[in-house]
Formats: sequence, structure tokens, C-alpha cells
Amino acid sequence: MVLKLVGAPVSTCTRRVATVLVEKKVPFEFIPIDMSKGEHKAASFVSNQPFGQVPYIDDDGFILYESRAIGRYLCDKYPDQGAKLVPALNDVKGRALFEQAASNEYQNFDPLAYRACFEMIFKKRRGLTPDPAVFEQLITALAAKLEAYEIILGKQKYLAGDEITLADLFHIPYATTLALAGTDIMSKQGPNVTRWYKELSERPSWVAVKDGVQSMSSY
Amino acid sequence: MVLKLYARKFVSGGTAIVALVLAEKQIPFELIEIDLPTNQNKTPEHLVRHPFGQIPCIDDDGFVLYESRAICRYLCDKYPDQGTQGLYPTGLKERALVEQGASVELTDFIPYVLQVFRELYLKPSHGQQTDQAVVDQALAELYKKLDVYEVILGKTKYLAGDEFTLADLFHLLAAPRLADLGVDIWSERGPNVQRWWKDISTRPAWLKLRAEGVTETTTTN
Repeated sequence: MVLKLVGAPVSTCTRRVATVLVEKKVPFEFIPIDMSKGEHKAASFVSNQPFGQVPYIDDDGFILYESRAIGRYLCDKYPDQGAKLVPALNDVKGRALFEQAASNEYQNFDPLAYRACFEMIFKKRRGLTPDPAVFEQLITALAAKLEAYEIILGKQKYLAGDEITLADLFHIPYATTLALAGTDIMSKQGPNVTRWYKELSERPSWVAVKDGVQSMSSY
Repeated sequence: MVLKLYARKFVSGGTAIVALVLAEKQIPFELIEIDLPTNQNKTPEHLVRHPFGQIPCIDDDGFVLYESRAICRYLCDKYPDQGTQGLYPTGLKERALVEQGASVELTDFIPYVLQVFRELYLKPSHGQQTDQAVVDQALAELYKKLDVYEVILGKTKYLAGDEFTLADLFHLLAAPRLADLGVDIWSERGPNVQRWWKDISTRPAWLKLRAEGVTETTTTN
């Protein structure tokens, strides 16, 4: 049975998963959830994703949520199909360096990038007033983290080494949303971060999903 | 060469979970203490090891790794058959469920715990005022998330199934420190959550670690 991706068409986390599905050339059926109607809080949804968040996958009865867990699962299920985005399971050091980079995304990038986007974009959508001072503080803190990225990306092409991994791809949804929030920080930090960000934002798998996820039956 | 752990003796944060996995997996290590008040984490020497200037990090016979949750996964992958079994299973679906639980810890648990910790401990220690409204809101959000944990833990014994895994272990990173500060986030939660927290926070290796601090070992016992 074809994999089902249940999510919202332009949600950051849903697009994060869709990018990986496209990279790994995995056919999927997209089942859109209308969050404005509260469909993510319905009993039938919550029985699969108890936090009431998008997305989740239903892979022939195997339910999995959390976009970064789904990304890893897809790469481990289809190691020889599509792009190689994580080192082999028995490459213990390679996996460790991947997890180190993935942890950086979650710890050092996502909280600041997410809150910056929340302040200037998501608050408006909920009828709240953005606070530019808070936004500036978050961007300043993010710039400090990106100084370390600039050093890392001066020694190797991508965050886990010289091959692209999920750790790089996981950044794309919020990194690209930052521009909509009113900052060009991803292109101003230094030549290495700029080169890396440009390549990620132009990645064909992201371009295929960025304006809205749709079912893909073949590649 | 024995693994070097760059950290401190005090059991908190990333150091806590790495030290716990070293103990659970009976992995010998040498502790090289990095003193934070004197900014030993910001020396050029340490920044080569850890570009974000944090602790812990390890040097495993020349292989340098940072980010505590990455280190924990590495140690489990390197020593699958030693010490406590099944912390990071290799089966496709089993591992995916551990990663799901680990992601939940990062998204739905630790941000609120750290907000409370920051307001009640870090800010006062730097001469800044606690913002009680932030504490109250963080706790309110945390309790809503723990209501979902209650549902999950009614179906399985632990977060990723019926075995203790890294997904559960990662929760020991900061939450125990709230109890040290006199904040009880557990005793008014549901019975499943209370059962689970009691189970994971009274593991013998954890109790020993909290009592003795991070203590290097040169032999397995």
C-alpha cells in the first residue's frame, strides 16, 4: 500500500518530510489536513498523532510522527534508492557525525529561527502584534550561532562532512521562511553559510514542495 | 586509548545523559574537567573540539564528537552488546519509534523545562530577575504536553515501546534539576506519567551518578 503523508500543504514540518520523500523517490499519497477547521484536533487524527500536530505518516499501517524521525526512517528504509542522505547504519562514526549535525539544527538553529518566524509571521496570522525588538534579539542570537556554522562550513562542504545529509535538509523550511520574516541573515553571514544556504534553497526536492505538498505517484 | 570526556563533575545538562550512558553501557572513560566559571569552554583549544564552545564533548581515541544526544547514540551504536541492552535498537521500526520519542523530548518537553530553569536559576545567578509569568506559562504548556504523555504511557511502558530507550533517558537531562530548585512537576500528573518518571529517575546507575557526580573509571565493573 502506498505511503500516506497526513499534513498541511504549506506547514514547515510537512514540507520537511515531503522534501525527504522526493529525495528518496518514495511515492506517497498526500492527505491534507485543514488546521483552520481544527482537523488536527479531531479524534481520528489524535488517535494517530496524540499531540495533535502535523504531519504523520501511515506506512502500510506503521504510524510515525515527528518530521525528523520520519526523515531518518525513510532514509533507513530506502538506503539504496534516491539520494544518500544518511551514512549506512553500520558506519558508526559517520552516523555519529550526522547526529551531531542534526542536533545542531535542533538545538542551535531551530529554536531561534522558529521563534523569529513566529514573531513576525505566525503572530500576524493569529491576530497578534509582532514585536520587532524581540525579532531583532532573536536574529542577533542566530547570527552568533551562524558564526560557528561559517567555521564548520569552511572546513567541509556540509554540516556532517563533504556529503549532504538530512542535517542540512532539515534546516530548509525555517531557513527559507526567515526571508519572509524580514531578514536576509542566511545570505549575510559569510561566504560559506551563503554558499550552503543558496544550494539548499535551490535543491530540486525543496523547489518541488515549497509552494504546497501534493501526492507523488512516480518520479 | 580510553575515551576522554570533556565535561564537569556536576550531573546536569548534556553531561548528565552522556555520563549515564557511559555508566549503563559500562564504558571506561577519563574525565577532563572544563571549568565554566573561568571560561575554559571558550579557550581556542576547546573551540577546536567544540565550535559552539559548550560541554560535553568526547575524544574517543582521536574521534571527536559533541552534542550530548549524538554522543549517547554513538556510544550505544559502538557498544551494542555491552551493559544495558536495547537503549538504541537497530531494527527499522524500533529505531524509528525511539527517534520519534527523542524528537518529542526536544519539541514538547525540554523547551519548557529549560524556560523554567532559566527563570528560576540562570537569571538569578547572573543578577537578573525571575519573570514569574514566564515560569507559569511554561509550566502550563508543559503540563498540557504531559497530559499527552499520559495517553502514550497508558499504551506502552516507555515512550518508544515496552523497553527503556534513549527516548526516555534523554528526559533526565534537565528535569531533575527542577526538583533541586523545589519545583515539583510530577506529583500532580497522571498515574502513567508518575509511574514512568519514578521508573526512569530511580535507575541504579542514575542514582549513583547523582550521589557521586561524574566519576571517571578506568575499569569496567
